[in-house]
Amino acid sequence: MLKCSELARIASDYIDGELDTRRNLSVKTHLMMCKHCRTFIGNLRASNELLGAHASARTEEAFLRKIDERVAEALSVRRSKKTDAD
Amino acid sequence: MTHTAPPHEQALVCGLRDGDNLAFQEAVRSFTPGMLAVARFYLDEAAAEDVVQDCWVAVIDAIQKFEGRSGLKTWLHRIVANRCKNRLRASKREVPLDDSDSLEPDLAERFNARGHWQLPPRLKFHESADTLMENGALNQCLDKHLSALPETQRSALILYEAHQHKSDDLCNILGVSASNLRVLLHRARQKIFLMVETFQETGEC
Repeated sequence: MLKCSELARIASDYIDGELDTRRNLSVKTHLMMCKHCRTFIGNLRASNELLGAHASARTEEAFLRKIDERVAEALSVRRSKKTDAD
Repeated sequence: MTHTAPPHEQALVCGLRDGDNLAFQEAVRSFTPGMLAVARFYLDEAAAEDVVQDCWVAVIDAIQKFEGRSGLKTWLHRIVANRCKNRLRASKREVPLDDSDSLEPDLAERFNARGHWQLPPRLKFHESADTLMENGALNQCLDKHLSALPETQRSALILYEAHQHKSDDLCNILGVSASNLRVLLHRARQKIFLMVETFQETGEC
């Protein structure tokens, strides 16, 4: 039977549905019998969801505006070239 | 397989092709966080920001050739990844990958020699993600721990959880094998799990 430490090692693969049928079944059987691992998997899922909801890659507005400026400059150069060609 | 873009994305792509400033501003806000996460996987902070800025300028022309075979997000992330790889090649640097055991040492310690829990999780995380998100102290703690993760783990985690890339796409963008990606994700998730657990039990970060 799968040990708790082995289950912890493959817990993300189980949550993401990346295990093959046999391994998936062995995790499910273990979870039916082990309260601690059920709590562990539940908590790992909850912390993953929390992370997804956390705007994890918040980007500085100043950096975004710097990109806006560079893009606007490049666009106006492009427009003026186009007008010259026309 | 051709990607079917949602109507909003099609409109955005048209705006970008026309060189519309507002369309660019919208796209920059939607896609820059993910593009930075890709670049940080490969490069340090300053170089990552340079690459992302240059990419947006390159997109002005490149978008004319965008065929919609993948979504706009995946297409942009690939451009960033390719530019980062070129830079690394020029500097002959390699991305260090932690290929070791997928179990975090701090979690591994909680099992006895027979592989049973010695220090099992004590609390269930009852509250929903939305309720937890209202906790300012928890958010600060998450930020702190996210920034303490190795760049490779953090980028993989953010791109998978927050930007919802499929594993295949992500392996391709980050240039890692599927098993490598699994290890990166699992290591990062365990650290965040341990952090949330400590926070829930003690109220401290």
